[in-house]
Amino acid sequence: MIQNAAKYWAVLKLTWIRTLEYKANAFVGLFAIISGIAIEYLIWIQIFATQKITEIRGFTFIELMIYLYLSIIVGQLKSSWQTSQEMIDDIRNGGLNRYLVRPISYFWYNFSLFIGHNSLYYIIYGLLILIAPFIFPAYLFQNYFHIFGFLLALILSIFLSYSVYFFMVGFAFWFGEVRSLITAYNLANVILAGQMVPLSFFPAKMQYVLSFTPIPYLVDFPVSIATSRLDMSLWPMGFLKLSVWIVVIYIAGQIVYRIGIRKYGAFGA
Amino acid sequence: MSIKVTQLKKSFKMFKRQAGLKNAFTSFFNRKYETFHALKGIDLNIDDGEILGVLGENGAGKTTLMKILIGLLYPTEGDVFVDDYVPSKRNKDFLRQISIVMGQKNQLWWDIPASESFLLNKQIYNLSDVEYKDSLDELVTLFDVSEKLDVQVRRLSLGERMKMEIIAALLHRPKIILLDEPTIGLDVIAQSKIRDFITYYNQEHKSTFLLTSHYMSDIEKLCKRVAVIHQGIKLYDGQFSTLIDNINPTKKMMFEFQNLPSKAILKELEEKYTFTLENNILTTHSPEKIIPEMLADLFAIEKPTSFRLEDLPVEDTMKSFFENPDEFI
Repeated sequence: MIQNAAKYWAVLKLTWIRTLEYKANAFVGLFAIISGIAIEYLIWIQIFATQKITEIRGFTFIELMIYLYLSIIVGQLKSSWQTSQEMIDDIRNGGLNRYLVRPISYFWYNFSLFIGHNSLYYIIYGLLILIAPFIFPAYLFQNYFHIFGFLLALILSIFLSYSVYFFMVGFAFWFGEVRSLITAYNLANVILAGQMVPLSFFPAKMQYVLSFTPIPYLVDFPVSIATSRLDMSLWPMGFLKLSVWIVVIYIAGQIVYRIGIRKYGAFGA
Repeated sequence: MSIKVTQLKKSFKMFKRQAGLKNAFTSFFNRKYETFHALKGIDLNIDDGEILGVLGENGAGKTTLMKILIGLLYPTEGDVFVDDYVPSKRNKDFLRQISIVMGQKNQLWWDIPASESFLLNKQIYNLSDVEYKDSLDELVTLFDVSEKLDVQVRRLSLGERMKMEIIAALLHRPKIILLDEPTIGLDVIAQSKIRDFITYYNQEHKSTFLLTSHYMSDIEKLCKRVAVIHQGIKLYDGQFSTLIDNINPTKKMMFEFQNLPSKAILKELEEKYTFTLENNILTTHSPEKIIPEMLADLFAIEKPTSFRLEDLPVEDTMKSFFENPDEFI
């Protein structure tokens, strides 16, 4: 167990080293989040001003901004664009060979890469999350339970998100090119998970359909805990459903991978 | 560790379409697949500590065989055992004892120095500090690359990169090493260095090597035994020297006369032998058994200024073999 952890810790460290080789690239990503928050601010300030409203679907302007601020950050923390692209290329072009010939798990190796790629963002976005309660003390993390609840939900949702990517990437064994599937998922993640508008803004039927998918647990669930929009009595059921989704998607991903690997042609190498 | 391959077959389903927009459109709705039989029933036994050369033209099935031996591909039919391990199960103990170097694909991280990738392999193979240091020191000294360890991999020359790849693949001292075109694209000095290394490593660590190469000098210098694969079928398995003798049992001989013999003597020679004559030098490509008799006749005419006897270049011999393999075996 410790030996296994040491392997993936080494991968994680190597990813950090690689990230630090390209300092500029690491900081360019920050503009994505800043511009996202700025756009949301400009849109919603106009809506509140022109409609002359102080509240929309239970959100005041400040509450909505804090929700979206946190949602965009949480959404970014689980972005797997780089890792999933590399995994697709591995399957298409034979790069998978270098993992298969060594005593290492492809799932956990890439999970280490996934965490490694995003680590710099974890630090910077973590700081952005840390300063928010000091600026808006009444709206975020009302007590320690909310901090721990948020962190646990965030960590689980990051793992869920990676598992979803791994599951989808596995279809490259059959179709070769699944980038459009990843793009569609990323888009759905932005629109449906709560990064553009809170889930409660969607029609009831849509919310009902979404409740049968893992999407609400990717962003809305941890953010709703942090902002106290989800009553603590509903947390256990939320964590249970999130955990079930993790197990289901993880197993599905492993099944797809194990069947797919038999079709793997190791071409290009 | 020994390798036992029995009636190994491997087929691939390949998507196929003709060039052009119309065909691309048609195949979008109606894809056509073809089954390509890469290996058609290979039997092969490799003993512990042996260096086996696998020969064959492009697409013969050499790399497919290697990929099955290390567990990258599942056999379509047949059995493969490396000791008691079935490679396709990718047992972790098995993977700790085998390694592969493929000339065109690498396991080193491109953007960072090779030394970082070596440290990663130390963890992956669970090497102790002492094991890691001993192995790294030995390999780095053999390849003389200590100055390059901390340079980004992408800034290394092709030869340096290949040396680093081999170091990464051998850090854990595997018992079986598969080398697929390890000298491809390298200059003669780098090729020679890698050949020397393989010889040393095989003798020192008794590792089993499987080697494919299009450079016949690699095979000639490293492999006593070769397996020849042609269109997925094993055509030959045995001594390389025997194969060469079977393919081309002729020798090239050059005999330089001090004085050109008379026309009558030359005519007599022409009736017995096939040769060319240019600037007092007689050149012949004749079967080995004829050479002594011919030499005796020539020495009887006069003592030469010089004479030379040589084998045909192995590259030429193998080229003629691959152009028409059925003719020789």
